[in-house]
Amino acid sequence: MPTAEESPRWAGARSWGWFLLRRLGLLLLVLCAVCVLTFTVTRFTGTPLYASIGQQATEEMIEARAEVLGLNEPVWVQFRTYFFNLVRGDLGTSRRTFVPVAEEIGDRLPATGELVILATFFIVLWTVPLGVRAGLKGGGAAARIGEGISQFGVSVPAFWLGLLLIFLLVFLWPIFPPPLGRLSGADPPAAVTGLYTLDALLAGDPGLSLRALWHLTLPAVTLAVTSGPPVFRVTRSAVAEVASSPYVEAARSYGLPRRLIMRRDIARNAFPPVLNLVAMTFGYLIGGAVLVEVVFSWPGIGHYAVRAMDFSDYDAVLGVVLVSAAIYVFLYFIVDLAQYALDPRLRD
Amino acid sequence: MASPPMTGRRPRTRSGWAGRTRRIRQGVFLALLAVAVVGPWIVPYDPLRPDPFAPLAPPSAEHWFGTNHLGMDVFSRVIAAARVDFSLALLGVLIGGGLGSVMGAWAAYRRGWADVVLLRVVEVLQSFPVLLFGIMLFAVLGGGYVVLIAAIASVNFPLYLRQVRSVLIPLTDVGYVQAAKCGGLGGWGVVWHHFLPNARGQILALFALTCAYAIQIIAGLSFIGLGVEPPNPEWGSMINAGASLILQGAWWPSLFPGLAIVLSVYSLTGFSRDAVRPLGPAGGTL
Repeated sequence: MPTAEESPRWAGARSWGWFLLRRLGLLLLVLCAVCVLTFTVTRFTGTPLYASIGQQATEEMIEARAEVLGLNEPVWVQFRTYFFNLVRGDLGTSRRTFVPVAEEIGDRLPATGELVILATFFIVLWTVPLGVRAGLKGGGAAARIGEGISQFGVSVPAFWLGLLLIFLLVFLWPIFPPPLGRLSGADPPAAVTGLYTLDALLAGDPGLSLRALWHLTLPAVTLAVTSGPPVFRVTRSAVAEVASSPYVEAARSYGLPRRLIMRRDIARNAFPPVLNLVAMTFGYLIGGAVLVEVVFSWPGIGHYAVRAMDFSDYDAVLGVVLVSAAIYVFLYFIVDLAQYALDPRLRD
Repeated sequence: MASPPMTGRRPRTRSGWAGRTRRIRQGVFLALLAVAVVGPWIVPYDPLRPDPFAPLAPPSAEHWFGTNHLGMDVFSRVIAAARVDFSLALLGVLIGGGLGSVMGAWAAYRRGWADVVLLRVVEVLQSFPVLLFGIMLFAVLGGGYVVLIAAIASVNFPLYLRQVRSVLIPLTDVGYVQAAKCGGLGGWGVVWHHFLPNARGQILALFALTCAYAIQIIAGLSFIGLGVEPPNPEWGSMINAGASLILQGAWWPSLFPGLAIVLSVYSLTGFSRDAVRPLGPAGGTL
């Protein structure tokens, strides 16, 4: 955050505006390219004519249907309608349920969001303390434990780890509920945010909130173990680099208290790359938790996409792809801005 | 596969221990590779023959890893699957990595707008979650091994392109490159003879890691029924077939193929000094 004693403030503001503008342009460019790609895909998946009419369609019926769907227009007109539909938030209609895809994704996004939020929380919980310790000492117990978990997390497929945890902690030693979704049967709380843990608290039902949390734990732990390793490594190397830098050495030689050095020099300087990666991991997991959602029958967007694939419901699949890519790109943009705000060295 | 050259061992604390585990991991990998090559000839049972009288038999002296719900021998299937998984991963990485490396070197040579456009394209590709991108490819192209290989290739293309490009950017106008240009060597000649060889170490380091990652992607896609079709032995689809049996206490049809994946990935990453997965910006999971 900019502090009060900065004098060339207005110059900074101008470059800040430039930076924002450039990044915004880039964001829009990437989003447009993503749309072009998915549009190309829809042209390749075969037109949904036969699927929507049936096998006994006559030539005229097909012709009429193609007219309705705008398939006789030139490609660029088709792209234009496709693009403006997307901008309006129209992702098409599910071939299976005949409900707008945007609506179905909207219903499932909170489930994924809740899972990913808790997973990210768990990631920070194990990687940051271990990474900081390992980075400061350059070895020792924290480094070994962290490296051990990292090696394991990198090697193990998340869906298999999920199954293993289900076998151990649901079947053999039943402390967690069976992997049947968010509450296994109980009535969900009145929807406010869509996050059951939060909604239950808002509805004044801590028991239900705890129950939702209990259902979340295993899938979130699975994701935290398999997606945490890069964060651990970045934390360790960032802290190690800062801790061995001349200014920290200088601070030490002045005899400043270690707490102060830790807080003022090390934490502040090692923080940006870690924050960056944590945010990117969060964005990635929105669309990257597919297999864990499947294993735990978690009714999120990844599970939805896989189910849709079973029914050749391509609009739904592409909807999920678009939404998760958009969230990822948008988060990338936010992280860039945060990085710029946090790190004065980037402002020249 | 030749092991990547491990030149100039960096001095490190616990180097003896780290060096030894790395050698053990490489040994394990070579053993797995041998299994993949000779596997189908050494299996005790036909991996595709069901035994209707012994479905879901737990591990025993007869069936080391038990049998699956159709009575197929899990041990034989895990062994036979090694060849499938390894060869698919290898093909995908070779195609995607090869193209990515050449294009990366070319971008570093040309710079300018070609470079910018390529980078943007790659950025767009990488903004899709890996698995959803794979699913999308299956939606477009149908199914089968070719699509699986295409999915692996398109995941690897950006990784190699970015890495090779970033390594070679400093060489854009080094003396010997200029000399080669003055000597009348064309663009592709320079890229091929003077650029790519400089990235050889990076490419090899990336190779083992991306193969490990490819195995995970293949298993992940097969786990949701895309890729290798069920009766054929493949680790991911085997785990899927056993997934619903876990809560009935039958752990063996899923446990052993999963262990095979863990062992392959763990041993493969032993070829790289810093086993960080080079996956997109976020590391990523399956």
